[in-house]
Amino acid sequence: MASRVLSSCVHRLPVAFAPLPRVSMLVAAQPFSTALCSTGTRTRPGPSQPAAVLMQVPGRVTQLCRQYCEDHVLYILKLYNKIEPEKLCINSHFMKDLGLDRLDQVEIIMAMEDEFGFEIPDLDAEKLICPQEIVDYIVDKKDVYE
Amino acid sequence: MTASSRAQVLELYRAMLRESKRFSAYNCRTYAVRRIRDAFRENKNVKDPVEIQTLLNKAKRDLGIIRRQVHTGQLYSTDKLIIENQDMPRT
Repeated sequence: MASRVLSSCVHRLPVAFAPLPRVSMLVAAQPFSTALCSTGTRTRPGPSQPAAVLMQVPGRVTQLCRQYCEDHVLYILKLYNKIEPEKLCINSHFMKDLGLDRLDQVEIIMAMEDEFGFEIPDLDAEKLICPQEIVDYIVDKKDVYE
Repeated sequence: MTASSRAQVLELYRAMLRESKRFSAYNCRTYAVRRIRDAFRENKNVKDPVEIQTLLNKAKRDLGIIRRQVHTGQLYSTDKLIIENQDMPRT
């Protein structure tokens, strides 16, 4: 049930966040990033957008920034019915602070894979035990600028 | 539970959940995900290594079943149910 809620909210989330649906052109990438990331976007010189970050998936946001990653990771975790939203913060440990077990952690990482659209191998997945580590991993793998 | 059997359990859990999400039929998909989660959680505290191995073997067989059924379902798929989320453009 939680996974159904997770997946249904994941589908709706980018539409709620993105003011311009289904736009995936390089030209639109600049206004996108300023709309979504209220903090931390710096003006970049010219056409230096990392091409790998732009994903041509309709209805999804195409430009990533660290704030966006953090927001989405926390949002997905809040949707999980075994986590109490009040106890959740960026550094809360899944096992010690939130009382989850390894099976829950597997489910959480799979939800993150669905959300961000790339596969996380098992060896890396078992090391991610707090939201901060997940955000750092995604930022690292997706070459996201601050 | 030894470290290697723990790793096997988690690997199977992930593989089964991943494969189950690929069912095209809504009912099969939701049932499989729910059953996998419940079954793994139910047997979480089993200590006997022989029993653990039996359960792991059963899970591997079930993973094979899921894979074949996913494929068959995709060959003979029908329309999506009305309650499934379609990507609808927001006005």
